[in-house]
Amino acid sequence: MAEQTTARRWALDGVRVIDLTWLLVGPQATRILASFGAEVIRVEWRDPRAIDFLRYTPPFAPGGSGAAVEDRGLLSGSPKYGFNRSGNFNNINPGKLGITLNLNHPKGREILKRLVATADILCENFSPARMAQWGIAYDELSKLNPRLIYLQTTGVGKAGVYDDYVSYGPTAQALSGLTHLSGLPEPHPPAGWGYSYLDHSPGYYGAMLVMAALLRRRKTGAGCYIDLSQSETGIFLSGTSTLEHQLDGQPTRRHGNRMPFAPHAPHGIYQCAGDDEWIAIAVESDQQWRALADELGAHALANDQRLRAAAGRKANEDELDGALVQYTSRHERYELARRLQARGIAAGPVQRSDDRFERDPQLRARGYFVTLPHGEIGDWPIENFPAKLEKSPAFVGGRHGRASPMLGEDNDRVYRELLAMTPEEISALTEEGVI
Amino acid sequence: MSAAADGIAGALAGTRVLELGDQRCEFAGLLLAGLGAEVIKVEPRAGAPSRALGPFARGAPDPEQSLFFWRYNLNKKSVTLDLARQESPALLLRLAARADVIIDSGLARDIDARLGAYREFSAQYPRLVICTITPFGLDGPWRDLNAGDLVQLAMGGIAAVCGYDPAADGRYDTAPIAPAMWHSLHLAGEYAAIAITAALNFRALTGEGQFIDLSIHEAVSTCTEVAMPSYIYTRRVVRRQTARHAAPVVSRPWLHRAADGHWVNATISPSEREFRALIALLDAAGIDHELRSAAYADSAHRAKADAQARIDGYLDRVIASLPADEIFHRAQRAGLAWAPVRRPEENLDDPHFAARATFTSIEHPELGRELRYPGSVAIDGDQPALSYTRRAPRLGEHTDEVLRAAGLQAAELDALRRDAII
Repeated sequence: MAEQTTARRWALDGVRVIDLTWLLVGPQATRILASFGAEVIRVEWRDPRAIDFLRYTPPFAPGGSGAAVEDRGLLSGSPKYGFNRSGNFNNINPGKLGITLNLNHPKGREILKRLVATADILCENFSPARMAQWGIAYDELSKLNPRLIYLQTTGVGKAGVYDDYVSYGPTAQALSGLTHLSGLPEPHPPAGWGYSYLDHSPGYYGAMLVMAALLRRRKTGAGCYIDLSQSETGIFLSGTSTLEHQLDGQPTRRHGNRMPFAPHAPHGIYQCAGDDEWIAIAVESDQQWRALADELGAHALANDQRLRAAAGRKANEDELDGALVQYTSRHERYELARRLQARGIAAGPVQRSDDRFERDPQLRARGYFVTLPHGEIGDWPIENFPAKLEKSPAFVGGRHGRASPMLGEDNDRVYRELLAMTPEEISALTEEGVI
Repeated sequence: MSAAADGIAGALAGTRVLELGDQRCEFAGLLLAGLGAEVIKVEPRAGAPSRALGPFARGAPDPEQSLFFWRYNLNKKSVTLDLARQESPALLLRLAARADVIIDSGLARDIDARLGAYREFSAQYPRLVICTITPFGLDGPWRDLNAGDLVQLAMGGIAAVCGYDPAADGRYDTAPIAPAMWHSLHLAGEYAAIAITAALNFRALTGEGQFIDLSIHEAVSTCTEVAMPSYIYTRRVVRRQTARHAAPVVSRPWLHRAADGHWVNATISPSEREFRALIALLDAAGIDHELRSAAYADSAHRAKADAQARIDGYLDRVIASLPADEIFHRAQRAGLAWAPVRRPEENLDDPHFAARATFTSIEHPELGRELRYPGSVAIDGDQPALSYTRRAPRLGEHTDEVLRAAGLQAAELDALRRDAII
């Protein structure tokens, strides 16, 4: 792995990131920056009460001693596996260096300032007022380093009237309208999202805005303070809904898997043979409907004159869907998708994680999973960046070619090489609870 | 405009982007336009396919009334050019000569016809960054499959983790639900914009452009969170659950009905802080409860199933006693990360988003009014980090302007128009 990385050329060569982020939304941004070759230094606490909670959360790599850490009880995650075995943490933090530093200690904050003086970028996603309470908000840090690009990510955004509101991804999804948009029509409740979409998408914007700020800084020399809002990101991703409402005054409705914005029908997810196995089918033209009817063969749908034109299929969509599922439920999803695709119809199996990992030939052929080493749990597959850049390829293992850092794994490297501390200083600071 | 020019929203000022292809590349172009790039959209003479996507401003389909086209093409310029004509590559080359970035999208086989030209462009103009956005990427066994938003969300794994709770017997009686409003295109556009800004940084370091091959399938795949690590590390497949995290086991509901019929997203962890906050909310709402009893002082007791069920009952009751927005503000003041399930349009009048200028007013002269668009995701100093000032272009609105700037004379434009090339 090391030899593979030495020949790489990096888009963010020479860029250093001080990464104070935790959980998901902040680490997602720095994950991408590391993938483009920035040196990302993750700053974490050694105190078990303040460690990034994600280190406690399942799934855990098998094995481990389990006895090293006291049980914290209050949290629903389990520290009995130690801090270094969470697969979720490993997947979101590859390619980064890891140090420990106690920002509650005045000496810890002084050391942070020394790190910031050497850095290009600082990312954090604490509660909105946290950095100001420590006296190390952007205004202070930018005096030390006017070229600093500071990315703060919060649930609703720091500026504005809800400046102390707190949020997880699902909170922001509810507030922004994204939860409402997804699901079956009322009176069904929204189905929303089965994960924290707004712990990930805002991270992508964070990476994009930071890289744009770097481009600008090359011209102006100036750093900046970016106040990124998860909820605002959700609003940005609400499609045409707010525009439509301004024009027709109607409340935004849900449509399940159907397509309200084009004469596409059938357009849905249909049960296949097997337990909880499904196929998505989207017929976008009368020609594709005829192709589907050919596949259906003697099935009654194929000869239903009402369904020959899109308007008829839309008008009879309940009946159409009900009859189509009679057909799909007798077929294996991959095989049916293959036959429909052969006729030019957009169709594909609903792939679960096991499907994508074990049998998706496309992800495999494109090298989507890369195996990266971790100091305690060994080699694990990690999801790579989804585009191939010809000359400066993104690589999720970053410039160090490895998975996530163990807690404090790079203290020596960073404190000795970057801040020129002596081993004696490092051990004294460690005993004092600073690092 | 001048204020934005020196902010992040002006970071790509002076960068020119040619956007070809279908709706799959429009979000990437929109993001680059929001960062200050001049984005020139090259459309067939009949209009980009996205002009056929609704909803439509006046109800009936009309290529100049597509709200989809309006939403995803703010700030851009429109040039018509029939790419199938033999004169077109030479014209495209003249545009490429003045461009920094080319974005193209469609099925891989549609892109194939233009790949040769792109290789020539980049040989001639090595600083060019060229990004293709295709359903599955330009190589691999599935490269030629047909997929729109629904099929991408299904194959990429997002649909499998979204939908409704299983029935009492553990089996699902509802299908997975792909979240609505074009999220496969959002993910593709975000990652394309990231890859392009990275490539522009690389170009600033080295002077070299490059080729980028983005797969929407992979872009969607990256965004299923713990579903993939759950399988990789423990071989457990997560189960979809109503408006909350898919997980190997079914958890307690997060949606609760408020007094006004709105849903509220709310949970209480066993932590002391959140438990105290719930008690304060119950007291303020005048709801009798036994949560101050000695048993509940013990977090281990609170974590037991019986106690959790009792606590959830109170959660339901306190939320049912108040309108959703009132419970939102009360809970937040108590430090709880709760929020109402708003319809998107309810944020148009929210004071916080007004203070942040989350929505941007765009003049639509043809409508005789302004429309408010979601305009940014962040603030840079005191201005939006993305800036939009112009409505989406009418078909061919900038053909003359752009081709003249590329050096074509009036007589040439007339001839091209007469020959139905532009």
